[in-house]
Amino acid sequence: MKFYHHTLKPILNRVGSMPVAILLLLLLSVASVIGTVLQQNQDQADYLHQFGPTWYWTFRALGLFDMYHTWWFMSILGLLMFSLAACLLRNTPRFLQEMKNRKGTMNENARKHIEQKFDLTFDDKEKAISSIKTSLPDWKWMETKVGNVLWLRGDKGRFHKWGYITVHSAMLVILIGGWLSVQFGFRGNMAVPEGGKESEISFLKGTTTDYLKMPFEIRCDDFTVNFFSTGAPSEFRSTLTIIDDGKEVMTKDIIVNEPLSYKGVRIYQASFGDGGSMVTLKLHRLNKKGNVDIAKARVYTKFNDPYSDVSLELKDFRPYNIENMADPGKPKHFKDMGPAVDFVIRGEGLTPVLVRSFMNPFIINGKNQGSYMMISTTGDARDFETYLLGLDFSEPKEWQLFQAFVHSLPTEQGATKEDNLNAFRAALDEVYPDGRPSDLPMLGNRVLQALKVLPDMPWPFVPVLEDYDQTYYTGLQLAKDPGMNVVWIGSALLVGGLCIMFYVAHRKVWVKIQEQENGQVKVEVTGLSNRNPVAFEQEFEDLEKQIKTAYDQGVKV
Amino acid sequence: MTAITADKVSFTSSMYKGRIAHVRNWAYLGLLAGLAAMAMFAGDGYVQDNFVFQMFSLEGVKWMAGGAVIGMGYAFTTSESKFRAFRFSEILVPWLDGAVLMVALMGLYTLFEPAEAMITYEDQSNLFSGRVVMTMNIALLFSALCYIAYLFAPDSFIGKLGTATAWIGVYAGGSALLLRWYESYLLMGGDIGHAPVSNLYEVFILLFCVICVIYLTLESRHNARGLGAFVLPIVAAGIFFSIWLESIGQSDIKPLVPALQSYWMKIHVPLNFIGYGSFAVACAAGMAWLFRNRLEQGGSQSRLLSVFPSLKQLDNLAYKAVAIGFPAFTLATILGAAWAAEAWGGYWSWDPKETWALIVWLVYGAYLHARFSHGLQGKTLAWWAVLGFLVTIFCFVGVNMYLSGLHSYGQLT
Repeated sequence: MKFYHHTLKPILNRVGSMPVAILLLLLLSVASVIGTVLQQNQDQADYLHQFGPTWYWTFRALGLFDMYHTWWFMSILGLLMFSLAACLLRNTPRFLQEMKNRKGTMNENARKHIEQKFDLTFDDKEKAISSIKTSLPDWKWMETKVGNVLWLRGDKGRFHKWGYITVHSAMLVILIGGWLSVQFGFRGNMAVPEGGKESEISFLKGTTTDYLKMPFEIRCDDFTVNFFSTGAPSEFRSTLTIIDDGKEVMTKDIIVNEPLSYKGVRIYQASFGDGGSMVTLKLHRLNKKGNVDIAKARVYTKFNDPYSDVSLELKDFRPYNIENMADPGKPKHFKDMGPAVDFVIRGEGLTPVLVRSFMNPFIINGKNQGSYMMISTTGDARDFETYLLGLDFSEPKEWQLFQAFVHSLPTEQGATKEDNLNAFRAALDEVYPDGRPSDLPMLGNRVLQALKVLPDMPWPFVPVLEDYDQTYYTGLQLAKDPGMNVVWIGSALLVGGLCIMFYVAHRKVWVKIQEQENGQVKVEVTGLSNRNPVAFEQEFEDLEKQIKTAYDQGVKV
Repeated sequence: MTAITADKVSFTSSMYKGRIAHVRNWAYLGLLAGLAAMAMFAGDGYVQDNFVFQMFSLEGVKWMAGGAVIGMGYAFTTSESKFRAFRFSEILVPWLDGAVLMVALMGLYTLFEPAEAMITYEDQSNLFSGRVVMTMNIALLFSALCYIAYLFAPDSFIGKLGTATAWIGVYAGGSALLLRWYESYLLMGGDIGHAPVSNLYEVFILLFCVICVIYLTLESRHNARGLGAFVLPIVAAGIFFSIWLESIGQSDIKPLVPALQSYWMKIHVPLNFIGYGSFAVACAAGMAWLFRNRLEQGGSQSRLLSVFPSLKQLDNLAYKAVAIGFPAFTLATILGAAWAAEAWGGYWSWDPKETWALIVWLVYGAYLHARFSHGLQGKTLAWWAVLGFLVTIFCFVGVNMYLSGLHSYGQLT
């Protein structure tokens, strides 16, 4: 006890004092701001690139890349909890005492300074008392007798001070809930390809990625995405089966905003992506023979060309590519460009570039402009530039026509336009023996374009997407949060407490009842409210009328 | 002549007093209860996109009229002496009347909507809501000018004109948002219909309405018209920003990303803007306090001082605004956390928006502590209200513009 009074109490008072609390809140605010300005949990290489080695290592040492989980940030929150608890411990008894102790009388001097007051005179004392009490139903009354003067004290909203206590305890409860979540909960991601199974989540811990085994497996039976006509996904839905101990225990669909829960672990639909689709590319050899090979590989794997040292690293596949075809400022015109595959092409003496190859030719205003691909020399999708290849590679005959044309072109110098045209006619006769194709003029243009572009290609072949068998992966987020319900309880308390604090007024009324010498009873009423004086003034005026009416009607007790 | 005017005034004001207001109020409340009951019990239950159509079908009319009749029945049986019951009605009924008027206006506008064949997602320039928003812009800009002029001509009608045009702006803005909600169902065959609180442009309109309603309520209750010269210019600044947003194509109705497709959006966003709006009003009261203080310190004899609320009143108005905003903002943040728990897998992710909301909350929490625990008043608190609003603005717009995170759908692109 002595220890409490001499050592602990001063410490509690200091920690629970307003300046300390303000300091902690200020620290918390400033620290939080750092975490919003510096993007959290990014790739370490990006940070290094962004800040340079000196700052990178400084920031890293301070834990700024995962700031909200560092020991020092946690300490601020811990100290805040401590301060709140000390504040509550110090003030609650005082508030409770104040709520309990009610002063039944009021001295004349105090009354002078109070705005809301009126005096009445009645004949019958008991009747006057009962009229007052019936005019203020639900009020808590207390009687004090001083000599021959009777004091009535009425209170409404006396629990007002509970508002303060509730709000501050609520914040403590929320912080405790948060601590429980951090201490005993987890949150991480897993990617499950369609038809695949997974039981491990990954999450970032400081600067490293950590893994955690779940007590069950999740199988993705099916995954579907719907798109708006603008190309934005409107809904993605996974059909998941939970496998616990080798048994299928549950099959359910989840979408964003509608998670499922198993064994206290909530499973959320978070994202989606390519789950290793099988894509088929046609490689059109840029050699004398002009033969066409097939390259078949899954996304996220590498295809090595057996006839050269060139390799294709398949990065991504998308079945829809919706683009706004309108000029800037014009009404939008959305068009689906069809399936496309992204790959990085590498080889001896070649600059590695990111290529997006489309399956369909580029058709504008009904005119076929031939196949095309997008190339980014930086590897960044924002730097894509479009290249028209000339030929429509989805039509195998056009490649044959091109080959035939190149072979029959006169090689010696001084060939005339007429010679070239004859070569083209000969090629057409060879490839289309049953008659000319219908869009001949465009075909001619395409072949001329190919003649300009294809010989300049640095690669030994022209890769064009031919076919695909798509699979998605579904990106799930798994979380267990034992502190969540505690936080909700704290939140409810917080809102309730705030409402009491802001909207419940503690109103007090003192009534001095004194019998006069002439047998009449003088009643002096004084009112005080700690909130909303305007409304109280109105109420007080009404009260005077009500007491009179009640007295006149002779209301029974 | 004067007698007739007096009668007229007493007629309109009698609509908001006593039994008439009481019965009307309970009819409205009964109607809303009937609507809620229909959502819960009728037919196949609540289907979000179908609900509005269900409301205006025979079934909806039955449920709503039934509720209204029960509510009126209750109101008729209330005894006259229950003043408190009457006062509850008298406070609530103007708001419900206003809401009905807004819905009616929106219904009226639908008549001006272009033919179905003329409405395309790609070109939304012919939708009628754009024109109503422009009306709101003009009304509120004009109102701002009137309020400023009122300071210099307090006896003329210009002050009343300011109040009137501000109300016109509120009704135009509110009904434009309702119309936009309806229009979102006209596009893309109704696939993308959603509440108009999904991007910066839409929430800006909401914010103007909220600021004006909070201010106008305080104005009528506390006779504080001088404050309008500080509130409406804040709104006017916002309007120029929203006109710019429109010019860069942010005003198009766009489909919702899956994360936003939730009933939580309709609760979380408007509640947040009650918070932001009242903090704006508190900021205006703080600025007005500082302005008046400056005049008084300089020993000014300006007539401005006579039309302006007193320093004490301004201090009190700023507190009143915070007292509206703080609980609303707290609740909005908590409900945001509840939504996050449902959509993102955790109630708190230290996302920039969340973190800044926390900072805003701390700023105004500290304001209240300074006021009550330390008895601070006047200059410090006036500055606090002003700077607090700057933090709020950063939380609202700045985070979207400069920081990236989970709330990035509010982003400018």
